[in-house]
Order: sequence, then C-alpha cells, then structure tokens
Amino acid sequence: MSIFNALNASSSALTAQRLRMDVISSNIANANTTRATVNENGEFEPYRRKMVEVAPSDNSFKSFLNKATNSSSNPATGVKVTGIVEDEEPFKLSYDPTHPDANEAGYVQLPNVDPLKEMVDLMSATRSYEANITALNASKSMLMKALEIGK
Amino acid sequence: MSIPISGLNNNVIGVTAKDKVITPGQAQSNFANALKNAINNVNELQNVSDQKTEALAKGEIDDLHDVMITAQKASITLQATVEIQSKVIDAYKEMMRMQV
Repeated sequence: MSIFNALNASSSALTAQRLRMDVISSNIANANTTRATVNENGEFEPYRRKMVEVAPSDNSFKSFLNKATNSSSNPATGVKVTGIVEDEEPFKLSYDPTHPDANEAGYVQLPNVDPLKEMVDLMSATRSYEANITALNASKSMLMKALEIGK
Repeated sequence: MSIPISGLNNNVIGVTAKDKVITPGQAQSNFANALKNAINNVNELQNVSDQKTEALAKGEIDDLHDVMITAQKASITLQATVEIQSKVIDAYKEMMRMQV
C-alpha cells in the first residue's frame, strides 16, 4: 500500500543500521584477535576490520524502467546493504616476544581495528537508528492525524 | 433515493455508470464486494502482524523493529476501518432520522 511507503523506507534503514551495529560489535569484539584466518603459507592472520556498504534500494530494473518511461514510481526509496567489505589498512605491529603469535623478531601483528573509530561509528549507528525511528513516528502520527479529519 | 446510492457506489469502487444504468441490486453487490475486499486487506495485515508476533515469541525473528512496524501498520489500517465504519453508520442514522 502506498500510504506505507515512508514506513517501509524507514524500516529498511532500521535493518541496515542494525547490521552496521552488528558489524561494529564484531570489530570491537575482535580488536585483539590474532588468529582470524589462515593464509596460504599456513600462518595465522589477524582479524581485518569490516565495514558495511549501503546503497539506495531503487537500483532495480523496475526503477530504471519507471525512470525511463517517466511513469510514477515509489518516491520513498529505502536503503539496502550491498555487502560487507574488509578494511585493507595494514595490520598494527607491536613488540611482544611473549605473545604466542609473535614472529622470530618478537613482533606480533594485531588487527587494524581502532577502538576509538569503532566507538564513533557505534554512536553514529545508534543516532541514525534513532533518527529513522523519529521519521517513522512522524509518518505514523501524520496518518493518525489524517484519521481525525472530520471528527 | 437511488441517485445518492449510485453516487456512493461510484466513489467507492470507481465504476463509471454513465453509459449504463445500475440496478439497486447490482449496486448493492458491488458495494458489498468492495467492502469485503477492503476488510480482507485489513484482515491480511492483522494476520501478518499476528504471525510476526508469534515468531517473535518463538525467537524466530531477527528484527524487532520489523514486528513493531507491522503491528503499527495493522493498527493504522484497523483504525481507518473503524473510522469509516462509524462514518457509514452516522450516514445511515442521519437517513433514518429523516422526516417522512
């Protein structure tokens, strides 16, 4: 139903923000994980920071067809997650000869996760979630006000 | 009496009655069908909301907001239905109050 377009768009954004939150939690949880993957030499590699890629959800064939034929399409475009990518920043090196994964020189590779950056991302995800809930409540109160017409 | 009824009929289901005359029986069944469809749509949303709530209780749902939004949609459509129903009843009462 077209009256729920705004609600559906907000709903997709809430889902996307929740996924962002999940990914950030995973980054923070693995901030010290040195054995995330095994490379081709059989050595352990630390965890790589993950990031969420989002895109508007209207880049489907239908929306392009609607745009090309100028027919009316849904103006409320939701958001969708197109993938989770890894941060290619190099790993942090730290001198700790007692670490089980330290190399011969006594250096250990730590994940490229910056807890400070993750906390900022976490705040951003929380605030975006709240903003979308506010938008959703505004749409809802608009609909409820419409029901009061003529009362 | 038949003019306001066919006017109502046109508004509700969008059938143009310019070229042919609709009998009161047809008008009634058209209106009944439109009403039935509308109520079925509302009922469908209620059912979806019920299913999602049940899935939430069973722990099968991933997104809490999805359940809440579905419940809100069901609530809004139900309230719209109730609003229209009370308007229709008001109109009927107004008719019945008419002096003959």
